[in-house]
Amino acid sequence: MRPLDVRLPLDATLALLPEILLCAGAMLVLLVNAWKHRTAADSRLAGWIALGSLVPSALALGWLWVGGARAAGAPFMVAVDAFRFASLALILVATAATILLSLGYLEREGLLAPEYYSLVLFAAAGMMFLAGAEDLIVLFLGLEVMSVSVYVLAGFNRGSIFSAEAALKYFLIGAFASAFLLYGIALVWGATGSSSLAQIGAVLNGPGLPLLAKLGLALLLIGMGFKVASVPFHMWAPDVYDGSPTPITGFMATGVKAAAFLALARILAEGFPHAAESWQPAIAALAIASMLLGNLVALAQRSLKRLLAYSSIAHAGYLLAALWPGTQMGLSATLLYLVAYVLTTVAAFGILAVLGRGGERDVSLDAIAGLARRRPWLAFGLSICMLSLLGFPGTFGFVGKWAILASLVQERQLLLPVVLVVTTLVSAGYYLPVVMAVYMRDPLRSDAHEGAGLPRPAFVTVALAVGLVLLLGVLPSGALASALTTAGSVLRDAAIPLVGYGR
Amino acid sequence: MEQFLTLIGYQRWILHVLLALPLLGIVPILFGSPRAAKRIALAVTVVEFVLSAGLWWALNTLPGTLQLNFSVPWIPAWGISYAVGMDGISLTMVLLTTLLMPLCVLGSWNYITERERGYYALLLTLLTGVIGVFVATDLFLFYVFWEVMLIPMYFIIGIWGGRNRLYAAIKFFLFTMAGSLLMLVAILVLAWRVAGTTGTLSFAYRHLLDHAGAVGGLAPWLFGAFALAFAIKVPVFPFHTWLPDAHVEAPTAGSVLLASVLLKMGTYGFLRFAVPFFPGVALSPWVTNLILVLALIGIVYGALVAMVQPDIKKLVAYSSVSHLGFVMLGIWAATVQSVQGALMVMIGHGFSTGALFFLVGMLYERRHTREISAYGGIAKVVPVFSLIFTVVALSSIGLPGLNGFIGEFLVLLGSFRTQPWAAIIATTGVIFAAAYLLWALQRIIFNRLDKQENESLTDLTGRELIVLAPLLAGILWMGLYPAPVLRRIEPAALRYVETVRGALGRYDVSQRPGELPR
Repeated sequence: MRPLDVRLPLDATLALLPEILLCAGAMLVLLVNAWKHRTAADSRLAGWIALGSLVPSALALGWLWVGGARAAGAPFMVAVDAFRFASLALILVATAATILLSLGYLEREGLLAPEYYSLVLFAAAGMMFLAGAEDLIVLFLGLEVMSVSVYVLAGFNRGSIFSAEAALKYFLIGAFASAFLLYGIALVWGATGSSSLAQIGAVLNGPGLPLLAKLGLALLLIGMGFKVASVPFHMWAPDVYDGSPTPITGFMATGVKAAAFLALARILAEGFPHAAESWQPAIAALAIASMLLGNLVALAQRSLKRLLAYSSIAHAGYLLAALWPGTQMGLSATLLYLVAYVLTTVAAFGILAVLGRGGERDVSLDAIAGLARRRPWLAFGLSICMLSLLGFPGTFGFVGKWAILASLVQERQLLLPVVLVVTTLVSAGYYLPVVMAVYMRDPLRSDAHEGAGLPRPAFVTVALAVGLVLLLGVLPSGALASALTTAGSVLRDAAIPLVGYGR
Repeated sequence: MEQFLTLIGYQRWILHVLLALPLLGIVPILFGSPRAAKRIALAVTVVEFVLSAGLWWALNTLPGTLQLNFSVPWIPAWGISYAVGMDGISLTMVLLTTLLMPLCVLGSWNYITERERGYYALLLTLLTGVIGVFVATDLFLFYVFWEVMLIPMYFIIGIWGGRNRLYAAIKFFLFTMAGSLLMLVAILVLAWRVAGTTGTLSFAYRHLLDHAGAVGGLAPWLFGAFALAFAIKVPVFPFHTWLPDAHVEAPTAGSVLLASVLLKMGTYGFLRFAVPFFPGVALSPWVTNLILVLALIGIVYGALVAMVQPDIKKLVAYSSVSHLGFVMLGIWAATVQSVQGALMVMIGHGFSTGALFFLVGMLYERRHTREISAYGGIAKVVPVFSLIFTVVALSSIGLPGLNGFIGEFLVLLGSFRTQPWAAIIATTGVIFAAAYLLWALQRIIFNRLDKQENESLTDLTGRELIVLAPLLAGILWMGLYPAPVLRRIEPAALRYVETVRGALGRYDVSQRPGELPR
């Protein structure tokens, strides 16, 4: 494929084809909703159309990715490299999983408003712009499109006061975070005269940063820190995760978090590659705080949903640790861990969604006791998810953790690996009781788990995700190799050694 | 025999088959009927044992280095390969494991009545994991097996264990994981530092062993991480607190495997990895003294605590702490005899403690109590049981002519040369062992038959005799004619001593066992 010059309308259209097709799909869903919005069948129809509209987007993405699309000349507005394509693929997977999990869930919970699916698609489009942005303005636009859609989705269960609380909290804190981000963008622009990441990187080519740029970067980090729910910007996460409809919680934990991390990785790798000394301490501090607090507080949770919420804070910490090196290994570890985390979390929330009713806020460890006796496959899937989140060998989560540790050790960083493994041990203290409850305890009531059956679409999603977690856990070679080359596509001009051995 | 083995290409496929067969056996277990599970498991483990028995001849004359090496890239981007190999140390451990496994299946025959398919599938997973730990020659692979075998044991304790099983299971898991996670970081640091000097990123054992000097000043930290992981597993005092809980709560087969095989993974780790990688740190006076003191505390403290246990199973569990202290002493004394002795204790402890746990389990199946005070005078009612119990207890004490004696004697003999005071203190452990076991024997088997419930005890059944017979045979054979075993572990022990002492530059390689040191 010829290099795409994103300044030309035709080439820009081609480069943005996945996003454009997805937005068109979202419009189509809205259009159909105008006539069909009354029954459960209408809602289902909207869901299937939404799912179908991911296909052209995915095909376009595949065409770009396999064709090896790249940008002609300097990058402009939106990235055209393998890292963006991988990001989009991950977001599409998270979106598809969310739609599939929602299909049965909305009907069961009586949330029959078909615009749900168009909101999911708009949020996905926002994520794609966010993760693929080559310019801070595009990044901000993507972030807002995503956030506004997810605010609405968080409050989608209009009958639930907790859902309303989640939406309000998420909205207020999100607006607050956006302000930080915007101010950060303004300051960076003031320091460099550009909002393009490539040009920012070109201007800031010394080891130190001017004060203005430093301040701007700090505000950018704070804004993104809110979005990825890293400590100390995590306060909203548990309540919002808890109150939202479970598939949307999964969407926030996977799609939103992945998009924000991928964007942050790109900001650091392209915008500030030479100033690693300036941002590494901040990243390390955020990572350590998130790992410690997320894991320790998760220990005290009884509700599975809140437990997963706090564990997602801890995982934000691991992912921040993966950003610390800023090398090809580090970026590939970020990608790998995100894939592992998205697959695992999708499956975990998919299973959680059928374990309870009314938002699953009361699915405690006691409530899932003895699940293995009546629903052995659900119990098996949930246990694999817990082990993968724990980073146990044989699951993809372990490969991700190994990649993070390796990328840190390669840079001769020892504090973060040690904190990472120690907090991982702490996390065993809350992941294992889940496994313990489902396998080793007796059900509280004889009719427990009667209704816990996955609807077919959700079953396919969960089975695929769990299968991939296991398969990639045993045979990670292909994923590793492609993660490495993909990560390399971002670092085209930075003098970063290839993987192999330490500097 | 050797020609026959070569003829069928035994050396080429045996290790892979040993690793794969149990996993393949899981499939029919999971999809068959629950009643067939134990039969399939028995068949698989017996075949596994028969196949592994060939190793005894295949590795008859060893040069002490790793044999049957095989390596194929697994994750080439990270220098990780599926690499297996075996020397005398792994040979004895693998054979011990494969021998015990069918016995464990037989021992669980009537005891496990719930969720049988899961139980036997987990036993087979455990088999693969344990063999993998002993034959892996790639540190990544080793780590994977080391962690993976945690899961089956965790479930075996947690589902089929005693009253306090949940606590014991999670404690077992967390303790082991606490050590191994730091070991994971150490493995990574080691590999990357070695890669920094050699230019090759590889987790192969040989590669890392040859260039472990590259870590420089980090060596004490890395050794500490490895040592912590293995010390928890052994367990070395004061990391032993998981052991009584896990042993007591686990079902019989779980206790047997824990004591006979899983604990040996810790001492194996010291022999294979921790000490040879960092001999300068491991054998520095400071570390040596620390380990010796901990080992001696383990020997004496384990024995003393065992003496006051009212529960037979707990008594046996604490006796393991004491016996494993001898192994640590032997490893750190680092003479050929002491290391050989340590290996003999590892094997002998596998036989005698395994048998003790089986016997306790058999008693428990009959009376559903393990309180020593609930028994007494049962020799009259169950003579065969009592005879076997006595022989096994005597072997655990270290009576000459039975297997326990050889190992402990060699350890004491070997360590007296380099660590005389430690050897002298350790000797008291043998005396304490006699005290707690003989006292227990007296209270359980002899004394007056004053409890009515004991009068109707039934003696060992044929199945139970089949379980105990191989262990008894091993106990007698190794006690009376240990030469074949010693011959197979001697080259590995010699090589270990050469490696660590050679690295320290104060060992004359020409020195043979039996000669006095300079």
